[in-house]
Amino acid sequence: MSQFVPMRVRVEKNAVVRLKRVLTGNGKFNVAVGAQVSPSDIIGSATISSGFRIINLATLLSVAPSAVGKYLNRAIGQRIYRNELLAFKGGGLFSGKKVITAPTDGILNSLNIKTGELRMSFFPRKEELPAGVFGIVEQIDAERGLMIIRTEVSRVHGMFGSGKLRDGILHILDRRDTLVSKQMILAKHENHILVGGSLFFKDAISSAISSGANGIITGGINAIDYRSIAGNRLVFPSRLNNDVGISIVACEGFGSIAIGEDIFEILRAYEDKFVSIDGNTGVIDLPSFSSDSIIRVRSTKLPPVEDEDLISQTGQDLTRFCELKLGLKVRIIGNAFAGEQGKVIAIDKSETVMPSMVKDFLATIESSRRKIQIPVANCEVIL
Amino acid sequence: MPKVVGLFDSFDNLDQVLAEDVASWIKPVPQIVQIENYLANKILYPQTLPITDYDMKIELAILREALKLNGPKDNDKKGNSLLGDNPFLNITLRKILIPARFLRFVPKLAILTWVFIDALLLNRKKEDWFQDLWTVILTDDTEEIVGTVILPQFNAGGTMEFFLPDKNYKIQSGSLQVIPCISGRCNISYKLNNGKILGKSENVIEVCGGKLGLIIDGRIA
Repeated sequence: MSQFVPMRVRVEKNAVVRLKRVLTGNGKFNVAVGAQVSPSDIIGSATISSGFRIINLATLLSVAPSAVGKYLNRAIGQRIYRNELLAFKGGGLFSGKKVITAPTDGILNSLNIKTGELRMSFFPRKEELPAGVFGIVEQIDAERGLMIIRTEVSRVHGMFGSGKLRDGILHILDRRDTLVSKQMILAKHENHILVGGSLFFKDAISSAISSGANGIITGGINAIDYRSIAGNRLVFPSRLNNDVGISIVACEGFGSIAIGEDIFEILRAYEDKFVSIDGNTGVIDLPSFSSDSIIRVRSTKLPPVEDEDLISQTGQDLTRFCELKLGLKVRIIGNAFAGEQGKVIAIDKSETVMPSMVKDFLATIESSRRKIQIPVANCEVIL
Repeated sequence: MPKVVGLFDSFDNLDQVLAEDVASWIKPVPQIVQIENYLANKILYPQTLPITDYDMKIELAILREALKLNGPKDNDKKGNSLLGDNPFLNITLRKILIPARFLRFVPKLAILTWVFIDALLLNRKKEDWFQDLWTVILTDDTEEIVGTVILPQFNAGGTMEFFLPDKNYKIQSGSLQVIPCISGRCNISYKLNNGKILGKSENVIEVCGGKLGLIIDGRIA
């Protein structure tokens, strides 16, 4: 009797796709449609207004709010740079001296003498946008600061995720089955895409956001944490618009599940390389770092862009069905042995009653470290 | 083209089931995070089957809560109950409607029926004596009567003597018992000490039998 199981595309190698590059603020592009770009080319620049910061000097200096002005070392409206002296109060009989330095570069905007709070705005920053990929510029939308580049990527399809399209340098934190805690997230991970192990704890996600990381790729995530970043729902429509300041792609499921060998292997090949991640579609694009790829990009034509959906993978159901046969590579999706991958080496011809009392045909799977028998319903063929 | 099918296909609001409520059905009570993740993976991979006995306990607990969430509500007076206001419980005709395909995922009919009783009748306020008897029906393209659920109204410490033509049973309040009765119609007589069925403490009645038989649930006071 034929057994049909879902078949999932997990890794598409060397696919020519359209990749979006987005300016992070107001700015302009330096290249025109049709131009050939390489990863280090600066394709545009944008000025980013970074906001402001409120510093309560009355509290820091331990003085009345109305008295703060006389301790301020710079006049309102002046520039100040990080670690320069902002305010100073000499020591008295019962108190030590107080030295307050600027926490960052900025301009002193105003001082509220009722609250003793100083408003300091950060300097606008100019940020340059590198192409990140070998490719050909197909379309530019100056109004939205959006460029579409035709390029060659290896595309990884995770199971689900959250967060808008972001990019950065891929950094693998540890083994594929490690539990990632906040101690593993460091300040140097700013603007990186972090590859974790089997589970990113909530505090590790918060820490990654605080340290300025752009993305997280993990095997699993706790459902309660996913709810908190996905509007308290556990539904997976083809289009999501969640964003909590970081993009997350879970490759396997909920709970602690090691990243599959197929995905981890290709991610390892891209360590310290530029990648992009779209949490809301669960897609990770790993652009080819071979200059030869431009030849294939040139010779490949894609359908015309009519809708942005053509650029991303939204709305596509990547699950099909196939007959389970010996030799096929499968992934286990049930509660037992979740995420384990191996080859089918036997399929029973009659049903077996499992300890749960449920009957199903059992398949024997040979993984890299063991042979296991699981119900056919808990198999998914992977491509 | 084949389609992914699972026990919870009938419920599109599975994500609204509370893990705490699911955990309350399982002994020993598992960690909530474990149940949250199990439930979420069930939404993600609906076709998977439980392998262990413990996984089956979790599935049954989720099923109880999903049925509760989708069952009739006591305060819902808007529905037209005559037309069958709920896919799992017809209050007017006193039928428990179990989709036959659920047996693929919970093969023991008695356990499946028990889950339906827990979810739909255990905390339900009886509106009349007739709600002491519920016919259990497997629904598919056709309907198959498989048995009857009898809910005696015990007072504290009540007991019940239950007589079938060939065998007698003694049932304590607070217990649930499955009694085989494979014929289509079962003639039974009962005698309750400190309790009633259909408003009487002693009576002879005819109920539907079948492959489930009779479930006498003395847990409902």
